Parts: sequence; C-alpha cells; structure tokens
Amino acid sequence: MENRIVRELSDIANNPYEMARRQRAASGQKIIGSTLADVPEELIHAAGLLPFTILGTNRPIRRASALLPDNACSLSRSDLELVLTYETDLFDGFVLPQVDDTTQHLSDIWRRKIPTSFFECYLIPRQVDRPSARQWLLDETNRLKASLEKFTDRKISNDELHKSIVLYNDNRRLLRKIYDLKRQDGDIIGNRAFFELIKSSMFLPEETHTRELRHLLPQLEKKAPSGANKGLRFVVAGIVWEPPAVMTILDELKINVVGDDLCTGTRHIANDVSTDGDPVAALVERHFKKGPFSPIHNRGNRIQENLVDLVRRYGADGILYLHLKFFESQDYDLPDLKQGMGEEGIPMYVLDTEYQTTHLAQVKTRVQAFAESIRGE
Amino acid sequence: MNESTPGKPRVKELMKKLTQDYYGDAARAHNEDRFVAYTTAVSPVELFVAHDVIPIYPENHSVMCITKRMTTRLSTAIEKKGYTTHLCAYARSDLGYRELGESPIGGLPDPDFLLACNAQCFTLTKWFEVLSRRYGAPLFVFDTPQYIRNKKARRNIIRYVEAEIYELITALENLTGKKFDYDRLREVLIYSRDACRLYKEFLDLAAHKPSPVNIFDALIHMAIIVYLRGTPQAVQYYQGLVDEIRREKVAQGIGVIPNERFRLYWENLPVWFKFREHANLLASYGAVILTSLYVHSWSYDFDVSDPIRTLAENYTSVFSNVELEERAERALDLFQRYDLNGNIMFLNRSCKAVTFGEHELREILTQRTGIPVLLFESDMGDPRFYSEVQVKTRLEAYFETLERLNV
Repeated sequence: MENRIVRELSDIANNPYEMARRQRAASGQKIIGSTLADVPEELIHAAGLLPFTILGTNRPIRRASALLPDNACSLSRSDLELVLTYETDLFDGFVLPQVDDTTQHLSDIWRRKIPTSFFECYLIPRQVDRPSARQWLLDETNRLKASLEKFTDRKISNDELHKSIVLYNDNRRLLRKIYDLKRQDGDIIGNRAFFELIKSSMFLPEETHTRELRHLLPQLEKKAPSGANKGLRFVVAGIVWEPPAVMTILDELKINVVGDDLCTGTRHIANDVSTDGDPVAALVERHFKKGPFSPIHNRGNRIQENLVDLVRRYGADGILYLHLKFFESQDYDLPDLKQGMGEEGIPMYVLDTEYQTTHLAQVKTRVQAFAESIRGE
Repeated sequence: MNESTPGKPRVKELMKKLTQDYYGDAARAHNEDRFVAYTTAVSPVELFVAHDVIPIYPENHSVMCITKRMTTRLSTAIEKKGYTTHLCAYARSDLGYRELGESPIGGLPDPDFLLACNAQCFTLTKWFEVLSRRYGAPLFVFDTPQYIRNKKARRNIIRYVEAEIYELITALENLTGKKFDYDRLREVLIYSRDACRLYKEFLDLAAHKPSPVNIFDALIHMAIIVYLRGTPQAVQYYQGLVDEIRREKVAQGIGVIPNERFRLYWENLPVWFKFREHANLLASYGAVILTSLYVHSWSYDFDVSDPIRTLAENYTSVFSNVELEERAERALDLFQRYDLNGNIMFLNRSCKAVTFGEHELREILTQRTGIPVLLFESDMGDPRFYSEVQVKTRLEAYFETLERLNV
C-alpha cells in the first residue's frame, strides 16, 4: 500500500528536522526539545511553543563520548550527540526529564554544554506506588508550568491548557483506533508505517498531525479486515524501536505487532487526560494511569505482568524484547523476565540493539529464527 | 605505636567487636522474632533503629566479598543467568552470593523489608527489585529527586521526602504491628548527630600537616558510621578514634607517611581490592590521598529539633544527588580546607551515579584549582577491569608532571 499520508508522515518520522525548521520559520514559534519520557507536551503547546521529542540519532557518535562514558545508554548518548553535532541550531530550549542516574547526569551535562535560553529539568517521581508521588508530580508539573510562563513572559490560562489537552487526546485516540485496526489485520497498515505515525506525532505540530490522522483513519477503515494475513502476532517490549529497520524486518517477515510497552509506542498514546477540573492535576493523573516503565518503581512484578497481559489480550504468539545497549534498568529486569516468560510458556526473544547498530542482516536472521522456532519449523 | 589507655580497648579491637555483635544480632534476628530490613548506605536508617528493625546493608557485605577477592567468581555465576558485567560490582557480588551461597561472614539473614534510597544511586532500586522478587518482601523506594539549586523546587522536594518518611513509618508499623515511637526516634537521632559530627571530625584530621590519617583509614573506619548510625556504640567508637589519633599522631606530629609531599584528592569510590596497594605505591612517591566526597557522604548534620525535616534534608542533599556545580563546590571546599595539591579522578565502571558527570566535574575542578588531574578508568570491584600496568604507568607520569610543575 502506498498511502500519501502514511508516506508523508513516514518521511517526517525519518527526518523531522527540516520540517521543524520550516515550521518555526513560518509560525515564529520557538521549539522546545524534550527527551524521553513523560514530559507533558500539552503544557509546552499551551505555552505557545512547539514541543519536539528528541529521539537520538543513528549517525555516528563523535563528541558525546568525551562527556558521557561509553557505558551510558545508547539513547542518552545519541540524544546528546544529536544536539551537540547534528542539530545545533534547531532548538530554542529544552525540558529534560529525569528517571535514573544517566538522565540525571545527562541533565547536568546538557545544561552546561548546550547553549540555550531555556532549560528546565522535569523530576519525575521514581515510584508510583504511594500517594506522595502524586503530590510531588503535581508540584513539579506546576513548577514546569511556571518556568515556561517565565520564559514566554505570559501566563498559561486553564482555557488554553484545556484546549491543548483536547487536541492531544484526539490525536492519541486516533492513533489508538488505527492500532486497533492494525491488530485486526496487519495488512491494513504495516509495523514500520504505524509506529512512524506515532513517532511523527512526537515531532509535528499536533494540529497538523491530528488533521492528517483524521483523513487517514477512514481510508484505513475501508480496508478492514481482509483476513488474508495469517502471519505471527508479536508484542514488542522495550523503550524505543531502534534502529527503525527492526520494524521493517518484522514487516518483511509478515509479523504483526499487536501490542507494545514502548515509550515511542503505547506509552505515548495510551490514556486520555481528563477534561474535568484542574488541567495540571489532570495531566498528572494521566501519568499514573500509564503502564509500567522499567525505571519507575511500582509494586508487583509489573513489567512481566503487563507483558503477559498484552500477549493474552491480543492473542500474541511471542514477545520481541528490544534491549537497548547499556540501558541499565532493562539489564536488571531481563534475567527474571526471561525466566518468568519461560514459566508462563510465552516465547520471548531478546534482541540487543543500539542507535548505531549496523548489522541488520544479523538482526533479520535472528528474528527470523525466533519466528521459525515459534512456528515449530 | 603507643600503648592504649589501660582499661580502654583500642579502636581497632572495638571495631572488630562491634562488627561481630552487629552481624551476630542480625544472624539471630529471625530466631528472636525480630525484623530485618535491607537498606542502602545512604538512607534514613534512624527510622529502622528507632523501630527495632535490624538494618542490613548488602553493599557492605559486597565490599567484604570484593576485598576477599570473591567478586569474579560470584559475578561469573550470575553472568551465566544473564546479568551483564556492566552492572554495579556490589550488585553482582550480592546476586552472586544469593546464587552460590558463598560469603566471607557466613551469609546475611533474608530480608523482611527492603528500602532503596536513590539519592545514592538509581541502581539500588533495580538491584533491590530483584531481591524483592526473590524473597517476596516489599520494597520501599525512598525517592529523592535531584536536589537542584532552585528554592521552590527544594521546598517541594523536602515536602515530598517528608511525606515519604511518614509513609515509611506507616509501612514499618504495618510490618511489625507496633506503633512507631517518635520519642525514641529523637533519641536515635541524637546518637546519629553526635556520631556523624565525630566522624566528620575524624575525617577532618586530614587537614593537619603532615596528615595523621589518609583516605584508606577513612574507608576502613567508615564502616561503623554506615551500619551503626543511631546507636551509642557509634558515638563511643568515633570519640575513641578521634582521641586516639589526636593523642598518638597529631600531638606528636606523626603523619601517615614520612616526607609528605603530595596531598591528594580522590574522586569516586575506591578500587576496593587495590586500596592498600595504592596506599603503598603512592607513599613511594611521597603522596598520600587524604579525602574524597564519597567518604564525606556520612558527615550528616542533623538538627534534632525537627527530626523528620532534618532526615529529609540530609538524605536528599548527599553529593551524588546535587547538581554538578554544587558537587564541585563541595570538592573545592575539601581542596581548600585540606590544602590539597593533587587530584586523582577514578572513572568507575561500576558506579554510574558517581561517574557519569565526572568529565564535567574534572573540567570545573581543573579550571578552579589549576591542579592537573590523573584520570583513569577501572572498576571498584571487578579485577577483570583493572590494569595494573596502566595504573602504575599513569601514576608515575602524573607525579613527574606534578614535580615538574613544582607543586
């Protein structure tokens, strides 16, 4: 299928920077870059700024190594490299969330090394199992709001924030609908194309992206479902689907991704923000409705329970776990997770990835071997 | 060496006895229906002590495994289970001990409760999650957001951490079925305050010239402030230690080494399995490492008039949880107070929390002091990442540089 909207959003997902520059020139709006995960884009949007998620670079690491040791996670290093070397003049400011040691240090290094007129860290609670975390995140989100207001020299009204929330809710809802269609039939939209829809929403102005999705949805609905695709169904687990060729490989192997716990996937589009009451409190509330995220502690065996639930709910045949090199949090989860999935009888394959991975032929061979082992070939 | 005062045990003997008593208590805990909590070296342990829950520090046990050269073996056992060598050597030693049951002290009691304070590092949360699953014991993540230099944020952070302390108290009451005693907390906090002050006084003896103590003394004697904080024994111990050093070294002008020439700062944790050798090697150059921010992690300053607030403030503002510039200011304060003229910065593969900002820290310290830096990479606990030749060559070159600069 060659759909115009899908193609255009795919292009943006793969190279968002020129688009962002044009957008800034046309609208005069400033671009605020934020790293993963959980920065409330609605707040940046309501401040009249353009939120843009920094998602690393697949290009070579040159300068970041001198600032952040080689055993720091691949995403942090490539985020830093992107702004140090490749996109040095794109951003007017930054919001860096902290969830672990790496992001905490990254925040300090970034503040010191990247000249900008606006820098704020966003100190996300690293536990979500007790009431104190809610009040803390509310305080912290209000602090971020005040900081954005100071930068733009104007107040963010409840009405403006409410409008932004409605817009982002619409966008998330449309993406979830398309995900549902894809779950019914992988031929409706491929893995790479679908996840690029999500990724492009992290770059494009939300109004534009939502408008495109509104046009796209009926076109996709017309196609559903052919029932022709009898391929395997996978849940993809991890933080990010990098390098992007991973999704292309799954497409080539006719494997349909029916669920995920990725930051550049479900975590970005799951759950709406309530449109009742205090909008900042509503943004905070959404955070606590999200599924588990490895660095953020919650009770129970949350990562495993969530993945088992996704597999059962969407009738998946197995889990492809994307292990991002030197992402410490995953390193601690994985041995128990592998054992747990073995006990649950759920096939899981752990694929080591990094932003600068180049051995794609090997990746394909491994995923193919995993798929064959599930099919009993 | 002088003889000790009659009737008073020397501190070395006292340390041995305190350590034996502590681990003996812990080993008997479950037979005596007492509760055991695993906790982290930087954590509000006063709450456990006040509630008669025995705090156990898997990190300390791991240091013992490392200094007994057990880590490679322990780590290899868990690498087979899929844990990577990138992880903290404390965590690997501990998980390896769980796997093989091998321990220098006959093991640790199983936990009834775990607490991970992330002011120290994030790794502990993930390591303790593994233990929490293994033992089916609840894990309390004592979350301390980075103590950024923003007044409003700091007020909010302290409010958050105070709320967490009350949540922890409730969790402890639920664990033991016993009401928490706030008067007892104040009493425990007074012991902590006094012990921490004396501990800091002990560390600050390094400001003397020649210095009567070096960082290796600090690394040995810090064990007590880590696991006996909040007890009268810790106060007695550090009082004895300070008195002994003043009497036997300071009063007589005896330094750690004769002809002290280079007074060094050390950044990061030590290379535990090499620190004695490092001391000897450095002495041959007339060099002595005097201090680090790491050993000062337990130089708390508790204000007992508001126990909850002072616990929140002290445990949130540890050097590993402040912004780089503030961390640098604290290091610079040591450079100034101890009159340091050399700087060894260890990039510790094991410890992301302390190491990841170190390149930036180096830049600040060099700019502000003008003192050249010896930077080397290794691992605090895993000899497989240590190169003897490299370290020796670098040290030799470094002291040649210092001499050339006529420091």
